[in-house]
Amino acid sequence: MSDDVTELAELSQQLTAIDVEPARAERIAFQARGTLGRGPSLLRFGEPVLVTIFTTSFLVWALMKVIEVFS
Amino acid sequence: MVEADERAWVDGLRRGDSPAFDAVFAAYRRRIFGFLVRMTRRRDVAEDLLQEVFLRLAQHARRLDEDTKLGAWLFTVAHRLVISWARAQAVRAQLAGDLPRREPAGGERSPLDAVADSQAQLALERAFAGLAPTYREVALLVGVEGMQPAEVAEILGLRPDAVRQRLARARTQLAESLGEHAPASWRSA
Repeated sequence: MSDDVTELAELSQQLTAIDVEPARAERIAFQARGTLGRGPSLLRFGEPVLVTIFTTSFLVWALMKVIEVFS
Repeated sequence: MVEADERAWVDGLRRGDSPAFDAVFAAYRRRIFGFLVRMTRRRDVAEDLLQEVFLRLAQHARRLDEDTKLGAWLFTVAHRLVISWARAQAVRAQLAGDLPRREPAGGERSPLDAVADSQAQLALERAFAGLAPTYREVALLVGVEGMQPAEVAEILGLRPDAVRQRLARARTQLAESLGEHAPASWRSA
């Protein structure tokens, strides 16, 4: 097994070196640097909260209508 | 890479230092990008996933453990992103009423063909591209990244035995695909 690992490593050294374009790399670094240590954006949680509020309001409204019909 | 550097980078990231982030980005950018290009076989997707890997690092910086191994951490995130991308691709294809799109076979032209300098390099790129993704990621992490099977097992969430098994299969398939370009010891095996 260790021979396999060594030979595979030697073989892999011949693979082409590839890199992201410098301008794109700089944009990625800039964007990531801007969020350093901040955690995920709060906007990420905004959508589920809005959907929950909307759904709950609709269900309460529908329930009240049903009660109104039968009362 | 010196272990002391890595420790200093982790300390810097935990403090939210930009220079530490820049150093990590410079050290790992090519390695992660190479892994992503060879796993997705698409440069545009690899660039997007590279961005996501380093965004996640930046967002998790303050929560990193003191003894975090950055290489393992980054490759674990990259591996998970590749899996999510592949699943999304399959779902998208099914929603389109098509069969899940198969990856291009090793013999077809890949974006890596354009950068291969020689016939041997081209044969090698195609041989790696022709491996099943589960074998390819093990071959890349062990062969290109020089990781030990135990470390790769941790990154991929597998048992070390499973990694060794995949590695042996990858080696066999590579030897078959490479033919005359395979190492002499593989050809005689």
